Amino acid sequence: MGKGRYLLKRFVYIVFVFFIISILMFAIYKSMPGDPVDIMLGDSKTSMKPDAYQALYDKTVKDLGLDKPLPVQYVAWMGNMLTGEFGYSTQYKQEVINIISAPMINTVLLNILTMIVVFIIAIPLGIVTAVRKNGAFDKTVQVVTIVGYSIPTFIVALLAIFLLAVKFPIFPISGVKSAGLNATGLEYVLDRLWHMALPVLVMSVSGIGGITRYVRAAMIDVLRMDYIKTARAKGLREKTVVYIHAFRNALIPVVTITTWWVVGLFGGSIVIESVFLWPGLGKMLIDGLLQRDFAVVLTMQMFYVVLSLAGNVIMDIAYTIVDPRVRLED
Amino acid sequence: MRNEKKKSPRRSTASKAAQQMMMGGMPQEEEEVLQSPMQMVIHDFLRDKIAMIGVILFTFIFLCCVFLPYFFPIDLYYQDVTQANVAPGFGMLNVPAGLKNNAQDLSVGSSFSVGLDKDGNVYEWGTFPNAKLKNIPSAKETGKLVQISAGLDHVVAVNEDGQVFTWGNDRMGLNSIPMELRTGGNDIKQIMAGYQISLALTEDGEMYNWGSQYLLSITYPEGVQGNIDKFAASTNIVMVLTKDGEVVPLTNKTSAYTNIPEEIQGDVVDLAITDESAAAVTSDGRVYTWGNNIKKTLNVPEEIQGQVASLSAGRYHYTAILKDGSVFSWGDNTHGQANAPKDTGIASVDAGYYANYAITEDGQVIAWGLKGYLMGTDAFGRDLFRRLLVGGRMTMTVGAISVVISTIIGILVGGISGYKGGKVDNLLMRLTEIVSSIPFLPFCIILSSILGNSISETQRIILIMCILGLLSWPGIARLVRGSVLAEREQEFVTAAKALGVKEAGIIFRHILPNIITVIIVNATLNFATCMLTESSLSFIGFGVNEPNATWGNMLTGAQNGQVIANYWWRWLFPAMLLGICTISINCIGDGLRDAIDPKSKER
Repeated sequence: MGKGRYLLKRFVYIVFVFFIISILMFAIYKSMPGDPVDIMLGDSKTSMKPDAYQALYDKTVKDLGLDKPLPVQYVAWMGNMLTGEFGYSTQYKQEVINIISAPMINTVLLNILTMIVVFIIAIPLGIVTAVRKNGAFDKTVQVVTIVGYSIPTFIVALLAIFLLAVKFPIFPISGVKSAGLNATGLEYVLDRLWHMALPVLVMSVSGIGGITRYVRAAMIDVLRMDYIKTARAKGLREKTVVYIHAFRNALIPVVTITTWWVVGLFGGSIVIESVFLWPGLGKMLIDGLLQRDFAVVLTMQMFYVVLSLAGNVIMDIAYTIVDPRVRLED
Repeated sequence: MRNEKKKSPRRSTASKAAQQMMMGGMPQEEEEVLQSPMQMVIHDFLRDKIAMIGVILFTFIFLCCVFLPYFFPIDLYYQDVTQANVAPGFGMLNVPAGLKNNAQDLSVGSSFSVGLDKDGNVYEWGTFPNAKLKNIPSAKETGKLVQISAGLDHVVAVNEDGQVFTWGNDRMGLNSIPMELRTGGNDIKQIMAGYQISLALTEDGEMYNWGSQYLLSITYPEGVQGNIDKFAASTNIVMVLTKDGEVVPLTNKTSAYTNIPEEIQGDVVDLAITDESAAAVTSDGRVYTWGNNIKKTLNVPEEIQGQVASLSAGRYHYTAILKDGSVFSWGDNTHGQANAPKDTGIASVDAGYYANYAITEDGQVIAWGLKGYLMGTDAFGRDLFRRLLVGGRMTMTVGAISVVISTIIGILVGGISGYKGGKVDNLLMRLTEIVSSIPFLPFCIILSSILGNSISETQRIILIMCILGLLSWPGIARLVRGSVLAEREQEFVTAAKALGVKEAGIIFRHILPNIITVIIVNATLNFATCMLTESSLSFIGFGVNEPNATWGNMLTGAQNGQVIANYWWRWLFPAMLLGICTISINCIGDGLRDAIDPKSKER
């Protein structure tokens, strides 16, 4: 089976998984407390006459298709979701689609930056500790990383705030940019980065801990292989052996774990956004739940589901790139 | 290869047969010295220093959380704003040496105390809720002070000329002492610093009050001013004792406090009020109490009836001086405030909040009651140490039950899927993939928020355990499936099949014991993850809610810079414990994995 067909098969399968999860989401949607029609009509219940209100109510029920059987409702709902009609936010008094772009950019920015930081630090660190395994440096890194990935992110956040924002006020405690700043260009970018420093630092800690250990373990496994011995015997430079021959093969397990980590990172950023008052999707989800603004909640949920499935797709694609054996799979 | 004598009872005849087949020609003597794989694992594990430190630390914390709550009981619904944000320490009853034999007047404040020696010097000790409390006016300003009283966060004192001074919290009008009292010249009989209020009484029976009017509104019934002999106050009410021996509440609302027994009116010699009840001593030395019987303050011990000379009250306890000069306390004894000493010759007693000071006739000071809090208190005045203990128990219970749920599901799904193979395997593995592609934390949040809306707190905790358990089994299922796939090709499985053992029996009685170590390692690591998830959920308010404590929700209040900077004990202790626990569990898991998997040891 070729790579293309393998990917196609995986893609069809992912669509199937999406379908199953979307049924689950629809169940959540239907079990949400409160009558959606009452919520939509808002104040008119008190301001209108009872029979006029009842007529309006019935009309809205019909318009929304709530009188139809559940499967029909599901299809309609799914259609809306796929075309970007996520519903009306009672909290922002707007269509949800109009208000999610800014928080989405904030969250994605935060997570991408974290990913970059983590990969830049964790991968070289993992390789170096694998090559110099059991040395003093390796042992130290081992202890530090186990602490790093064990400690809950919100505790790291509290410690970071205490040290870097309260005791030594280097970074701001919360927010995305300085109040009243209307700089452009480089100054604006630097201000944004300055505000992102603390959340990114906190989110990187557990990622660096985990990924370093995985890279190290994968590299050690690979460095024991016969073909590494062969490569060395050929007289290749050690750098070539480590970074070309060994690392490429070590990537296979690393890709798996990295994908899970990235999906978890977005989920975990909910906590971080709530600590640092970062106006991203996670904070929007929590605010939505607290304000009982379920259209927003469901949209956020959809985002996380899509993200998780996209993670799966990316993992599959990455596999076919790094592991030529994948095509042999049936 | 297991040692024959230490064979686990789980091993079936089939596996025995298989083993004997494999060990066929081996001499018995040599087998005695061989270590079984399990022994080797334990041996290796015990030699792993980091893992052992993890085991010791975690076991210690675990045992503390399980057993110590029996010695430090806690009422989860208890709150006391007067004890809010008290720093850790046990210095509340450390009476300064200068006061020990020379005490004139002592007074218990919320978390600090003040004292006056016979020369009029002021002493303050304990933990101070307000930095301004340290600004004690100099002796030059005040002259010789003769009476002093400590309140929530301010102090009132009076000098020999009847001039009243106050320091500490100066808001809510606490520093606007009435002019008559500021200039002096009155003979002040009694002063009191209360909950954001100050009270003073002159020898002429005139009462003055200043400070906040919101918490305590004082209305003087007609004919009471000018006829007051004594007063007593709590956070809820002020009552006075008139010169005719009558008890009069200074309020126009009826409540449990105003329900004064008629038979004592006109015969009362002393009066004291706790937060929930009031007590009066009549001239024959009997104590009458009324109000709400919270913390058993109404249960006056029979043996002191008829002997009581005077009364003093804290927040939930009474201390009486008996006619023979000894003291007796009753009521709430959470902090030992009702453990009155046996000493006699007591001249006066000041009880307040959760402590008592007695001054003997020769000026000695005896103190009993609340010494302080090991780890301080939170914003609601709750003892952090006790909450940490029950919180740890809750966090670990939730983690453990979730792990049990996820492990059982994982073993079932993985076992069946791995052994059966084919379509069943395909179906179950697709299910596993679906569950594992559900975004974990967002789903936990939304489920606990939507389903947890209409149920009780206990059901909510169970719900969270189930959510965590039901969403975290895919990892273990995959692992079990992989191990079963490897094990089912072994000879002993063939032997069991040949003996006609049922499929379920083969999976769960023959194969499972062989992969149990892998499961244990995974469950250990899963336990850490579940504890973390529960804490994260509780931290952002979608897990276990107040008043139930978990390490996660104890940190919720510590999210702003103000708290992080000023009340370090409120976040440092829960954060440290949670961190130590998860690090220990991960170290244990790593150690176990290294011990079990000889390959990973080379890493």
